[in-house]
Amino acid sequence: MGAKAKVSGSVVAGFPSPAEQYLEPPLDLNELLVKRPAATYFVRVEGDSMSGAGISDGDLLVVDRSLRPADGDVIIANVDGDFTVKTYRRDKDGIRLEPANPAYPVIRLHAGQELDYFGKVTACIHRFAGKK
Amino acid sequence: MIGLVDGNNFFVSCERVFNRKLVGRPVAVLSNNDGCCVSRSNEFKALGIPMGTPYFQLKNREATGELSFCSSNYELYGDMSRRIVSILRDEAVDVEQYSIDEAFITPPSLEALGNGERGMGNGEIGSRSPFPITHSPYLAYGRRLRAKILRWVGIPCGVGFAPTKTLAKIANHIGKKRPDGVFLMPDDPTEILASLPVGEVWGVGRRLPVKLRASRIITAQQLHDAPDATIRSIGGVTLLRTVMELRGIPCCEEKDYDAAPDTVSCSRSFGTPATTLEALEESMASFAAQAAAKLRRHGLLASGCNIYAQIFAAGGGGDFVGRTVAFPVPTDATNEMLRAFRPEVTALYTPGLRYRKTGIVFFGLEKPGAPRQTDLFDTTPPTGRSRLYKAVDALNARYGKGKVFSAAEGIGQRSWQMKRSKLSKRPTTRWNELMTVR
Repeated sequence: MGAKAKVSGSVVAGFPSPAEQYLEPPLDLNELLVKRPAATYFVRVEGDSMSGAGISDGDLLVVDRSLRPADGDVIIANVDGDFTVKTYRRDKDGIRLEPANPAYPVIRLHAGQELDYFGKVTACIHRFAGKK
Repeated sequence: MIGLVDGNNFFVSCERVFNRKLVGRPVAVLSNNDGCCVSRSNEFKALGIPMGTPYFQLKNREATGELSFCSSNYELYGDMSRRIVSILRDEAVDVEQYSIDEAFITPPSLEALGNGERGMGNGEIGSRSPFPITHSPYLAYGRRLRAKILRWVGIPCGVGFAPTKTLAKIANHIGKKRPDGVFLMPDDPTEILASLPVGEVWGVGRRLPVKLRASRIITAQQLHDAPDATIRSIGGVTLLRTVMELRGIPCCEEKDYDAAPDTVSCSRSFGTPATTLEALEESMASFAAQAAAKLRRHGLLASGCNIYAQIFAAGGGGDFVGRTVAFPVPTDATNEMLRAFRPEVTALYTPGLRYRKTGIVFFGLEKPGAPRQTDLFDTTPPTGRSRLYKAVDALNARYGKGKVFSAAEGIGQRSWQMKRSKLSKRPTTRWNELMTVR
């Protein structure tokens, strides 16, 4: 995203670096986690409804809106005006949103109700010190 | 072929992506300082409340829960606009962003768009377009573009295709009212132009239709058919260009957005009228800092500036007072500008008056190294100065606008800052304002 410095091998004196021809740009987390910047959004988790799926209170989720949801995907959807993170389930009984914590109810879409889908969660970033 | 893609009720649509409670409701986004409606949802338009209606006239209808309002969240709208343009750049041959919510595009050639729907119609041999209009690959392309933007960004768009920008604007307006959001101007647009009042043609403006009416030019088709001499005598070359565009001959120059500006300015109305010298000084210092950063971005120096203030008058309007300041040497350094114009702010200020607005305009812009008379006593090494503000600009780019600022801009409550009492979160540009999910 930011400007990247160009690496050029102008050495004034001394031996040429043996590593020079192997120089590569450093690893970039954006490249790994954000495949489509125009469709990617970051959201913050509040609560423990997905604790069984390794998603904790305060975690940062990477969400890709360009991906269509498939059965078993962790997705962001809007239910009654609030955004929620749940596992998307689709079978002969219809569509439901499953929490990964028995303390929370399964959300079932009644017949004819359309899912207000936001995007698919592609990564969860959990930090150990603090939430920011 | 030219395409025009624009976001429907763009500001409202941006708010709705992150606040689903606004979907299906009458919502408007307010201008700076929560002044008046600048973007309205279809439900809001359906109530017959016109664009520009002052917020205070609608406050009671907000209290009853009938209407919803948002302050302008430019940080959000700017980011959503950037996302749309980046999608267009991937999908089109060329993109010219025209405003925050509109972009002209050059679509891929018919060959590149493929023969997807060619077999579906019976293309008339010899006509300009080998496709019957309802099966044109441009329409399929437009629908694809629209669907992609809707899914990736969440903004519904209108798409119009035509041989010129002026016609593409008209096609876009028609497209927006269609269920699929896309429209291709037919080779013969007579029927469409005949039902369009001249005032709605892009570039005609508000005053010309009165003059045109006197020459019995009421519809866009009549304008299209009028003799060049008549058009020239009414609206000069500018109007003639518009007419050529209506005739399908591209005449609009591409705006050169990277060109160096002639002046750089910044101004804003106070949230509540200002009465103190400090408020005037601080607001002008802050605008100078913003405008100077813009000068540095363009690599320009300013030779001087005009500072001005508008005196508050009940019921709107109010006289302007101003001063012109020439800098000792052309500069892009905020501190040198401040030193030069601060005494003039004191001179401009009259105790007891209330001020509505302040602003600053830099003029005499030039590139460094342009031939000029130097100041014998200018002892500041230019490198030291530019290094200071390079660092300031870099810090502000990294940690957010206004993190590093001159003390002259004030550190207390900035009463002159924009009032945005109904500002939504900025979930795509601020880590501490992310959307939360439960």
